Formats: sequence, structure tokens, C-alpha cells
Amino acid sequence: MALAWNLAAGYAGQFSLGHSLFYGIGAYASTVLYVRLGLTPWAGMFVGALLAGVVGTLLALGVYRYKVHGIFFALVTLGAAEVAKGIADNWAFIKGPVGILLTMQDAPRDFFFLRREPYYYVALAMLVVMILVSLALERSRLGQFFLAVREDEQAAEASGVDTYRYKTVAIGLSAALTAFAGSFYAQFYLYISPDTVLVFEPQLTMMLGTMVGGAGTAFGPVIGSILFSGLGEALRNLPFLEGTRQVVIGSKMVYAVLLIVVLIYLPGGLVTLGQKRA
Amino acid sequence: MAALLDVQSVSKAFGGLQALSSVSFTVGAGEIVGIIGPNGAGKTTLFNVVTGVYAPDRGRVVFQGEDITGAAPHRVCKLGAARTFQVSKPFAALTVLQTVRIGALNRIPDMAGATAKALEVLELMGLAAKRDEPGRALTVMERKRLEMARALATQPSLLLLDEVAAGLRPNEIQDMIALVRGIAAGGVSVLIIEHVLEAVLRLSGRIVVLNHGEVIAQGRPDELVSDPRVIDAYLGEAYSLA
Repeated sequence: MALAWNLAAGYAGQFSLGHSLFYGIGAYASTVLYVRLGLTPWAGMFVGALLAGVVGTLLALGVYRYKVHGIFFALVTLGAAEVAKGIADNWAFIKGPVGILLTMQDAPRDFFFLRREPYYYVALAMLVVMILVSLALERSRLGQFFLAVREDEQAAEASGVDTYRYKTVAIGLSAALTAFAGSFYAQFYLYISPDTVLVFEPQLTMMLGTMVGGAGTAFGPVIGSILFSGLGEALRNLPFLEGTRQVVIGSKMVYAVLLIVVLIYLPGGLVTLGQKRA
Repeated sequence: MAALLDVQSVSKAFGGLQALSSVSFTVGAGEIVGIIGPNGAGKTTLFNVVTGVYAPDRGRVVFQGEDITGAAPHRVCKLGAARTFQVSKPFAALTVLQTVRIGALNRIPDMAGATAKALEVLELMGLAAKRDEPGRALTVMERKRLEMARALATQPSLLLLDEVAAGLRPNEIQDMIALVRGIAAGGVSVLIIEHVLEAVLRLSGRIVVLNHGEVIAQGRPDELVSDPRVIDAYLGEAYSLA
């Protein structure tokens, strides 16, 4: 998921704060299609990706039409995600704020497993695919144009790059890939609601991972995300933090300090560590 | 023969400021045309109108027989008019090769072909040794060359240069003049805005003089330096004495 956000923010410089919208679309699409129509989530997650891609593209078309840039773009996307949460909270068809509970069952064909290992393999496969997509992007014309848009839109235009089009493509692509992570979440935790999948929290994690690991690279977000999830586990077991509340606040403080330190001393992220020494 | 670029009675105002009023001129195939004028005369605005950054309030811009008035900048570039910026806009975090390749990718969709084209242009511009440096590490002269290389890599038929000699040392200006001559000799027409008079006078076959957004004179360099209107508006006493 960090890699998906990185596609838009790291490569193309389109700093979205509304990716929970696409995450939520992925989670809801596969789940609702399964519960209501009996469609296997294996297929449902592709429907979710398509839907998120279309929503992302339409959002980008509208937002960029009015030449919304930088921080304002971030605000608009954040707003869009909030609107989506408002809709989900009040939409009876998808059970509003109550959320949807899936039954734990042994049905591999419908993306349900009793044990955890199969989920890990699915997640690993998704990760590998995402890394390959990122690497292919770096070597492609599309990826080069994303970089041009990030660096300087006016100069990109002058070099023949249709910035409106490529920004939109970046958001659409990133949205579709984010939706896969949302579908995975639903299948793994077996419960989704506006308060779990349409909130800012998962986005925060992926932004931290991307920025600390190294935005605009294929492996930076992976390194960063592994670091943060490992850190999260480690902090949970510290003896002097008692109770969930302390753990949550304590770990956020550690994350913040880590982010600041990395941004000051390694603005390119941890992936640049090797390059600097060399 | 139809002109490559035909600017017809273009006007552009910003609020109460009339930046351009009814400006007309042409650039023929293979020509080097200079635009001079004091600060605020509308030179860069004219560039921005031609390359689609601004749409003019009135008038038309015709390029290679096609009306490009108000077309998006990337389309103007694709049609074959590429520009540099007065304040150079390097892709700071990208390498010189990556930057120029982005220009090349417009005509050559595959990476290998575009890389080859980019290297060829870098060789021409004397930047081949800097190919792996990031844009931000370059000197002023190198940045101007990078701007030109990125523009050239899009394989334009018209190159618009905005103050490529300004801020350079005298020996660098000589190099720049030779470079622009070499580009023009390769069959690319050049429209050049320049404050460094020596450069523009030596390069241009024809010069358009702007003042307060109006064309006050145009002609061969040797005609213009003795034209009293031009001396009055721009050249000043130093040149009238010379």
C-alpha cells in the first residue's frame, strides 16, 4: 500500500492525503460483492481496483481541471475521503456505521483461510507484484514523465509532457493499486466499517513508511514499512508502557522523532544510506 | 514561402498593464530572429503567448500553417516549437541524462532510442561528461546548456531561447554564440530573446525591437543600430557614440 501511494506522491509528486478513499473502496467493493452477490473476493478485488481507479481518475480530472496544486491538492483529497466516510456512514446498503462482518471459514476459493500463513503468502505476492510494477515504471516512458511532472510542471509541459494527463494517470493507477490493499484488509480482519477502512490511520502508516524509507524509489517504501511495523511490535512489548493508550501515544512519539531525524539527515530516505557511504 | 512562425496582431493585457499590443512578426525556415527591448517590454510574455503558457486576448499565432493560438504548451512542443526558460528550470533531482531523455521521449517512445538521442544531444551541447550529475549540481552555464539540450531533444523545427547568454562570462558568451550557430546550421530556426546585445546582434539575421509591448522597429542588425527610435528606446548613448 505504501508502494501504491508512492506511485503518485513519490514519483509524480502528487501528494494525496485521501488514499483512505481508495483503500475503503477496495475493502467495500470486494466485501459487498461477496455478501450481496456471492462473487468471490478474488474477483471482487479487481472490481474494487477498477472502481477505485475510475473514482481516482474522475477526482483527478476534476481537481486538476481547476489547477489545484500542492498543499491544496492534498487538502482536497483529504476532504474527498471525509465525504466518502460520510456517505458510507449513512448508506444502509453497506450497513452504515455498523460495518460488515465476514464469517471466518475455510474457503480458499473465496479468499478465506483459517490459518494465517496463506494470508502472508498472498500479501507477499502482492508486495512482489507492486515492487515489479514500481521497477517497470522507473524504466518506462510513463515513469520518466511522472518524474518530470514532480520536478517542475512548467518545464515538463515545455518538454512536451501533458501534465494534466499524466497527473491524472498517476492518481488513477495509484488508487487502483491501493484498493487491492483494502480488499486484503477486509479478507484478513473479516470486519470492515467506515471507522476502520475510511479513516486516515492506514494512510498515515504508509506515508511514514514511504518518507522514512525513501519516496520515489521502488524499495524505499518497503524498507520503511518493514521498519515501522517491526518498531510497532517492539514498542508494544516495552515494559514501561502500560495499557493500549500509552502504547499508542508512545509509539506515535517515537515515529515522529524518527521521521524528523530521517528527514533532516537523510532527506532521500533510508535507501540513500548506502549511496552516501559509497 | 509561408513562414514557419507567424505571429499576427497579438495583444495581451495583465489587468491594466498592456503587456503586448498588436505584435506581428514572422520567423522563416532556417532563420535566426532576435527580440530585443528594455526590461518589461513584453519579450517573455511574447514567448509565453507563442508557446501556449498564456492565451492572447486578441490575435493569432500560426505555426507551420496550423493555428496554435492558446494551445497547451505540451502540444506546441509536440508540434515542433521548443523553448528554454529565462530562469532555468532544471529537473533538480534528475540527472542530466534523465532530463534530456524526457524531452527525447516525446518523439521516440522507446527508452533505448530516447537514451541514444539524449546522448547525441548532450554530446552536441558539451554536456556528455555531466550525464550522471543531478540538475541541481550544475553551474549557470551548464544549466542553460541543459535547458537547450532538453528543448533540442524534442527535435523542434523552431527553438525559442529566452536569455541564454545573460549572466554568462564573456568567454562563455562566445561559446554560446557558436552553439546557437551550430544548432541553426543543423536546420533549426531560432527565435532568441537576449539582453546581451553582442550575442543577439552577431547571431540574428533579423531583429524585432519591442518597447512597451509594441514593435517599434524590425530589420537587419546593422540597420537597427543606427535607427534613432531604437537608440532612444533601448541602446542608449553608448551605442550612438560608437
